[in-house]
Amino acid sequence: MQTSHRVRGIFWGSIFLLLTIAPLLILFVDALPAGRDFWVEFSVALAFAGLSMLGLQFGVTARFRHITSAWGIDIVYHFHRQISLIAFAFVLAHPLILFVVNPETMQLLNVIEAPWRARFGVAAVVLLIALVVTSLWRVQLRLQYEVWRLSHGILATLIILLAMLHVLGVGHYINSPLQRGLWIALTVIWIGLLVYVRIIKPIWMIRRPYAVEQIIPERGDSYTLILKPVGHAGFEHKPGQFAWLSLWNTPFAITEHPFSIASSAENDNHIAFTIKNLGDFTSTIANVKPGKRAYIDGPYGTFSVDRFTAQAYTFIGGGVGVTPIMGTLRTLADRGSTHDLTLIYGNPNWEDVTYREELEELKQRLNLRVIHVLEEPPDDWQGETGFVTAELLRRYLPADLEQHEYFICGPDPMMDAVEAALEELEVPLDKYHSERYNLN
Amino acid sequence: MRQMFANRLALATGIIVVLLAFAFAWVQSV
Repeated sequence: MQTSHRVRGIFWGSIFLLLTIAPLLILFVDALPAGRDFWVEFSVALAFAGLSMLGLQFGVTARFRHITSAWGIDIVYHFHRQISLIAFAFVLAHPLILFVVNPETMQLLNVIEAPWRARFGVAAVVLLIALVVTSLWRVQLRLQYEVWRLSHGILATLIILLAMLHVLGVGHYINSPLQRGLWIALTVIWIGLLVYVRIIKPIWMIRRPYAVEQIIPERGDSYTLILKPVGHAGFEHKPGQFAWLSLWNTPFAITEHPFSIASSAENDNHIAFTIKNLGDFTSTIANVKPGKRAYIDGPYGTFSVDRFTAQAYTFIGGGVGVTPIMGTLRTLADRGSTHDLTLIYGNPNWEDVTYREELEELKQRLNLRVIHVLEEPPDDWQGETGFVTAELLRRYLPADLEQHEYFICGPDPMMDAVEAALEELEVPLDKYHSERYNLN
Repeated sequence: MRQMFANRLALATGIIVVLLAFAFAWVQSV
């Protein structure tokens, strides 16, 4: 990782930590008279911190390029998931501890007779449980991605609103000017983030539309969408990066999906995405008509050779996971690269090898070696079969393993296996780079 | 592998919060 990214990562990580614990620090400054019950106060402190952490998720998921580029947005989303589960535990601990130490507080669950402050609290926790359940088990609940995303945003906003009403209703630890100032500031930050993500950013995107120029069928039940910027210059990207694509009529609709950029970073006239039909939204790509309006939020991602200088690069791709690697190879070819390049490319069968013919052409323009690995090879197949294993990598990777930078992109099981294999081969951790798009 | 970093940061944040909450509750209760 470059030093500037590391410094930026530490800075924003510290800001997150500071904003998380700020409500706790303020509790110390303006505390209530001592002699209160330990467990009640412990549960209150956990809930304040949990609320602060949940509110900050509006910032964590706002896709600020300056912040996310420090780690990679897939890691930021993974952090969002983990820290939200911890915040959920803190918030849930609040009523549970109160029920144990003060069983009469269970009467507050009777929402018909309970005061409004308790109703707000109960409603916030119930909605938070719904949000966590639908996020962890979306697939098992057969919830469509688009429906889940919309409900996720609405639930998150309602939870924060109800929790704040609960805090104001109870009125503890918010009465001193310092405490009041902090909670007003936090609320303004949360609302500001929400307004930025849902209103300001879509308005900015609506002024920078794209049009579908061409749809090209590819091997492996995939389609390449070629888009051109309309009335603006598009955006510059680094090879291997990705963007959120929205193919509907307005960027205000929450119907965008992340895809790797398959076109060369040296060509800013158009942008290409290769999308595999996975039976969901991706099954509609084949029917998209040229001229259709699209919006692109990008570029994002740290899966780029431009971030890691080396003379030799090894790429390991599985199926349509080869897309960012293809974008990288096309870029390197346009730049007249002399790098020593190896692509180890796993696929189910020979007919479904996406970009098969173009990879052969790229071998003429680049110092590129392509090793195909097929699960179900044809009868006359002379090449590698099965899966990408440590034994296979050992045969193809050069002796000076630590001189290479390794880029891995494919299905999660393949990435886990390849990362374990590289570890087994004692490739240093900071030499291999991967990006996971399965953000669920 | 890269996800380990996010896991550790989340865990560290959680531990710091629990310690601070514990310290606050103790200060309030004595």
